[in-house]
Amino acid sequence: MAADTRQSGELKYGLADLLTCAAAREVQDNEIVFAGTGLPMVAIMLAQKTHAPNLKLIFEAGTLDGRPTELPTSVGDARCEVGASRSSGLHDAFSIAQRGYVDLGFLGGAEVDEYGNVNTTAIGDYLEPQLRLTGSGGNPDINSFAARTVFIMVHEKRRFTRQVSYITSPGWRVKKWPEGTPVARRELYGAAYRGGPSAVISTAGVFRFDDESGRMYLDTCHPGYTPEQIADMCQFDLDITRVGGETPLPTAEELHLIHRVLDPDAIFIPHPQ
Amino acid sequence: MSKRITLQQAAALVPDGCCLTFSGFTIWRRPMALVFELIRARRRHLHLVEVQGGPQSEFLIGAGCVDIWESCWIGHELYGKYGANLSRKVAEKKIIVEDYSHAEMLLRLEAAAAGIPFAPSQSSLGTDIHNPEYDMLGRAGLRNGDNPHIPRHKYRFMDDPFYDAGQIVLVPAAKIDVAVMCVQQVGEEGTVRISGQRYSDQEVARAADVTIVLAEEVVPEEYLRRDAERNAIPTFEVDHIVECKWGGYPTGMFGRYDVDGDFLRDFYQRTRTQEGFDDWAQEWVYPLDHAGLLEKVGVKRLLALKANTALQYSTSIKRGG
Repeated sequence: MAADTRQSGELKYGLADLLTCAAAREVQDNEIVFAGTGLPMVAIMLAQKTHAPNLKLIFEAGTLDGRPTELPTSVGDARCEVGASRSSGLHDAFSIAQRGYVDLGFLGGAEVDEYGNVNTTAIGDYLEPQLRLTGSGGNPDINSFAARTVFIMVHEKRRFTRQVSYITSPGWRVKKWPEGTPVARRELYGAAYRGGPSAVISTAGVFRFDDESGRMYLDTCHPGYTPEQIADMCQFDLDITRVGGETPLPTAEELHLIHRVLDPDAIFIPHPQ
Repeated sequence: MSKRITLQQAAALVPDGCCLTFSGFTIWRRPMALVFELIRARRRHLHLVEVQGGPQSEFLIGAGCVDIWESCWIGHELYGKYGANLSRKVAEKKIIVEDYSHAEMLLRLEAAAAGIPFAPSQSSLGTDIHNPEYDMLGRAGLRNGDNPHIPRHKYRFMDDPFYDAGQIVLVPAAKIDVAVMCVQQVGEEGTVRISGQRYSDQEVARAADVTIVLAEEVVPEEYLRRDAERNAIPTFEVDHIVECKWGGYPTGMFGRYDVDGDFLRDFYQRTRTQEGFDDWAQEWVYPLDHAGLLEKVGVKRLLALKANTALQYSTSIKRGG
């Protein structure tokens, strides 16, 4: 992500800073949080240094309640292990999720639809793909079992799509296989139901999902965007009747923590120019 | 009888058509020295069943060694966002990809390690991972029972018969011929000690019919047996041992060396096309052996990757952009 620097009074911040701070605000204290690679990792560590000092960090590769002092570049990184309660493996990470310990997971996606179904597998017809992507990784597993998941995405009209090319990760309205019957997530997951996508943080705004219908609505606009502009950046009809204003800007303290403490080498978050 | 063999002997234990898996996690502790050796030996028709892929899969796939890849993820983390070689071969229909979720792949290995034929899960319900139209081995007519590595079904669905928990997905155990591990220490008899995260290594070693361990060091068994609780894999699960320093390079190893991000980024950027891959392999794989590769990388770069022994990672590499 380019630095894309903006200015607000004395403060210079980048788009990545805005997203990191928005993501950090999704974390509540004392929560057990599944940390993915990249910007989410910075966001979670930012929350830990501000309003959520007691959060517990789980790395998918097998570190439980880690307290890294240097930013890991991936969840298998030796840096994840520092200060951990337990170092083990994938079995622990996934059984903890399936058992229902995980409050929040941060995930990514190439495409999302209005029900929060996400694609990270292939663009175009799966059988004749235009582009094969990385695949699911743990995205559907974490999204299946965490009480809340937050997706961080680049906002383009083709990515906020009427129908994702492939449902990699389950939203609020999914398919019951082997027939493929449309079904509400709550109904399909039975006893394993614990929640689902709670927010999408895109490069244009923050989106949430209606409790009843499971449909996406616009919550806040990032500075520089109107609700109408954002609605025009979605292929589906985006509900913009519930907009709660502008996405809060990063504070001076948050910017200091991101660029001087958490990611001083700009591994994931570029320094504002 | 000694379990020690050479890298070349290890490569010979992975024949054409072998169903293969590896230790490690994405860009960490992959047995790359053996992967390079398999490419040099121009191995063909490999069937990779991996909890998740990484550079090892991308190198083998780019070199045309792989016919079938069953897994959930491929890429180089920060150093390359997807598997460009896999993408190209998928588009050209030169490889069959069978997608499962990460937890499902782990369960397939866990079932195999536990000696049970399948495992139940409620993960990924409602996704296209379970779409029967996307059963690619089935589409290729390979689920007829002729290939012992390929189960008759990709999935089966059932309702929980015990507690009415709802829909359950059954995933087949993975039938692995050979697992190749890359670890810090192994004893002369095969006891494995892993430092740091164990990823899915214990499951992988137990699941495979033959387990080959590449270790940075072969150490006295007596030393490892003083602290048995620190050991990850027992002697009898390990068939062969290769002492191979920097055997995971360019992936990283906890306590020993970091990932060489520059090497992976260079690979990712240069191998979008087959010509690019061939050119890269001509430079970094075919004319070299393991020592030759390390020599080409150079002492300066390797020293920068070396881990600080208190922190377990390198403090001298530049990681940021």
